[in-house]
Amino acid sequence: MKTKGFKKFIEDFYMVIILLFLYAPIFTMMVLSFNNSKSRTRWGGFTTHWYRQMFDNSAITDALYNTLVIAFLSALLATIIGTVAAMGINQMKKLPKAVVMGVNNIPMLNSEVVTGISLMLVFIAFGITLGFKTILLAHITFNIPYVILNVMPKLKQTDRYAYEAAQDLGATPVKAFFRIVFPDILPGILSGFLMAFTMSLDDFIITHFTRGAGINTLSTLIYSEVRRGIQPSMYALSTVIFVTVLALLLITNFEPENQAGISASKVQETMRKRRRNNNIRKGFLVFSAFTIVASVSFTAYQKYSTTHSDELFVYNWGEYIDDAVIEMFEEETGIHVTYDMFETNEEMYPVIEAGAVRYDVVCPSDYMIQKMVENGLLAEINFENIPNLANIDPLFMEHSRSFDPENRYSVPYTWGTVGILYNTRLVEELGLEPPARWSDLWNPAYEGEILMQDSVRDAFMVALKSLGYSMNTENPDELAQARDLLIAQKPLVQAYVIDQVRDKMIGGEAAIGVIYSGEMLYIQDEVANLGLDYSLEYVIPQEGTNLWFDSWVIPINARNKENAEKWIDFLCRPDIAKMNFDYITYSTPNSAAKAMLDEEIQNNKAVFPDMDKLVNGEVFRYLGDKVDGIYNDMWKEVKSN
Amino acid sequence: MNNPKNKWLAGPYIIWMIGFTVIPLALIVYYGLTDKSGAFTLANVLAIVNAEHAKALFLSLGLSLVSTVICLILAYPLAMILRKKGVGAGSFVVFIFILPMWMNFLLRTLAWQTLLEKNGVINGILAFFHLPGIAIINTPWAIILGMVYNFLPFMILPIYNILMKIDDNIINGAKDLGADNVQTFLHIWLPLSLPGIVSGITMVFVPALTTFVISNLLGGSKILLIGNVIEQEFTKGSNWNLGSGLSLVLMAFILISMALIAKYDSNGEGGVI
Repeated sequence: MKTKGFKKFIEDFYMVIILLFLYAPIFTMMVLSFNNSKSRTRWGGFTTHWYRQMFDNSAITDALYNTLVIAFLSALLATIIGTVAAMGINQMKKLPKAVVMGVNNIPMLNSEVVTGISLMLVFIAFGITLGFKTILLAHITFNIPYVILNVMPKLKQTDRYAYEAAQDLGATPVKAFFRIVFPDILPGILSGFLMAFTMSLDDFIITHFTRGAGINTLSTLIYSEVRRGIQPSMYALSTVIFVTVLALLLITNFEPENQAGISASKVQETMRKRRRNNNIRKGFLVFSAFTIVASVSFTAYQKYSTTHSDELFVYNWGEYIDDAVIEMFEEETGIHVTYDMFETNEEMYPVIEAGAVRYDVVCPSDYMIQKMVENGLLAEINFENIPNLANIDPLFMEHSRSFDPENRYSVPYTWGTVGILYNTRLVEELGLEPPARWSDLWNPAYEGEILMQDSVRDAFMVALKSLGYSMNTENPDELAQARDLLIAQKPLVQAYVIDQVRDKMIGGEAAIGVIYSGEMLYIQDEVANLGLDYSLEYVIPQEGTNLWFDSWVIPINARNKENAEKWIDFLCRPDIAKMNFDYITYSTPNSAAKAMLDEEIQNNKAVFPDMDKLVNGEVFRYLGDKVDGIYNDMWKEVKSN
Repeated sequence: MNNPKNKWLAGPYIIWMIGFTVIPLALIVYYGLTDKSGAFTLANVLAIVNAEHAKALFLSLGLSLVSTVICLILAYPLAMILRKKGVGAGSFVVFIFILPMWMNFLLRTLAWQTLLEKNGVINGILAFFHLPGIAIINTPWAIILGMVYNFLPFMILPIYNILMKIDDNIINGAKDLGADNVQTFLHIWLPLSLPGIVSGITMVFVPALTTFVISNLLGGSKILLIGNVIEQEFTKGSNWNLGSGLSLVLMAFILISMALIAKYDSNGEGGVI
């Protein structure tokens, strides 16, 4: 008996270890939801602030609502279509059955990116406007296979003679189905539904490509936040969801019902006894589910069918505006704003090019504006409608000419440089001088302490500048040298990251990293707030750097061009530009707004470097698809090496 | 149920499939077999032999294979333990194992970053006990960990479900006839649970093979998997033709591996249920 006890202990221990493994990240999120600092790696004291913020933030509550409605509706519809289809497929002959099942498996086998993009293309081809509908259609599409896979085995197990006998005894086929077959396959249907619901809840990639303007699910909202750091209110939300689900689970577990729909031969007899009871409860469940669907679809319909006479569709970087600014704009002009976010220029481009969503005003970067101008995607701005343009420092209009030669298509919004951020203490501990040149990023003493930018042009900029070449070079030899340099650097690099540089540097994960100047004010504030024993300094390397501009443009197919111009004008107003600067901390080209800032910030050279001292400062240019292709191929060589 | 008319019940779904599965797939085939000007070419498909693509593909195959094996090794004993616990407790416990999937996938994976980092939670705990820290973040090991973490439930469920169908009497019979534990396992458990194992392998291997988020977040983007290559061609490189061509190759690989393992699952019994 002793060994048996020991065996049981081992078994329980094993289970606990696996559970610990599965729940460790969830506990981490729970802890982070009470962290006073936004940093993922530093504890800044206990707070419930993020929970309050979560309920106040309509973006989060809307996304939660969308996520649940889409998960529920898509799982329900997929379950109905899938169950009916499974019954049909079950009756098919061998060959057609194999074909149908083969096609059925495709959405599960295909890479999600491919499924997402191909669905987007089909929606555009069919003329279906991207939005709530298309997300729902896409989710139903990838959910049905899971339902079928769950129902089919159950159908095979059903006793067809019982069904025939019921009919022989006078039951109609429908009645015989609901009395005989349905109870047998119900566990399969329920687990199919559950699985579909889970898949829909967790999907990000397919939603990302099939969603339209103004619609976010939790996944897409989180993804847009990855750019400038996840808001801890997301962790708060996850904690709330987790605790709710766990509580529901604990309550329902005390009922004898077989939750996940698992049946086993040895319990079938007891199950049969319970079946009558279960059927009543299941009937009730189905009824209440139906009521919920009906009411939810009705409110969803109302929500999405309300149209506004005066509208504006804005497409901007994630976390790149103060929400209060949008509200003020809506109040002052009476225009209803639908606001969407993208993470990279490259991701924004096909959306505008395909016209999948007709945005009225977009905020891309320099080289992408040039590409859009060259490909005829932009409309000329009527500057008569933008009197506040006078507040923009003419210097920046001059710089804009490098991508918008005649200043016809764009109005500057933010600008900045790219430089090296370093941890004073870690650099000192390594016995090194503070970095001053890009070539310092090749110092072997920094092994494992370097964070590089994970984007082609930025990475090549660093290598090309350190070689003394132009970052817009098209010369294959220069590019090959830069590529070899990047390959040589790779063993020293800790990670290639985009916006996580900020959090990792604050957390003291690495000694030096390549970063955008706009993050500096936030970083310095956070270092001060956390009372860290090191400081983080920003330096623009001597070899010169990337000078970048994000500007507002109006796509050629915009439907509300005048509203877009009102929007641009509004953002150029000094008080608004200052409000925005305080929130996003990226340097503003608005000289009137700059004059309103604290003296100290105005003189912060990381935020507002002297333009005349930026020797070899260059702006990215669009080099054409062919040269872009060379850059991409070489970058792949670096990454795969 | 043998009313032949019933097969028409599949009709609506077949129409659905044509609209949202077959036509999108046809588009991918079209993009994959043409160049930017729309002319026919095999270059996008043959690009897989390029050093960096082939390397990414083999690395993906390797990592997802290792992850699948680890999942299987972890899941099988667990499923056996769960089976022993009986149905009532079992279904509750099964729920406990799916529950993590209700937390957002991106958040969960980011949380692993926080755990594994140099100054992360795990190293903090290890340092507290004066133990040497671990340095697996941004290495292939972290990617394997991420894959195992994210896909383990997909292995547990089908194996558990198939084990639940095995009649205790068969096991007892084998024991009565003198089989020892190893023999019972090899001749009874394993063959009877094979369909579940096969379906578990599929459900872990395929998503692991195509993932790009896990390698980005836990591999520090230093490790290029075939999923990353495809994703980047679509979202960053804006070369949809190459992206489509490479996904066709990836699909072929998946189909081949499916065909190989489908031999053991001819009855389709290894469904997730």
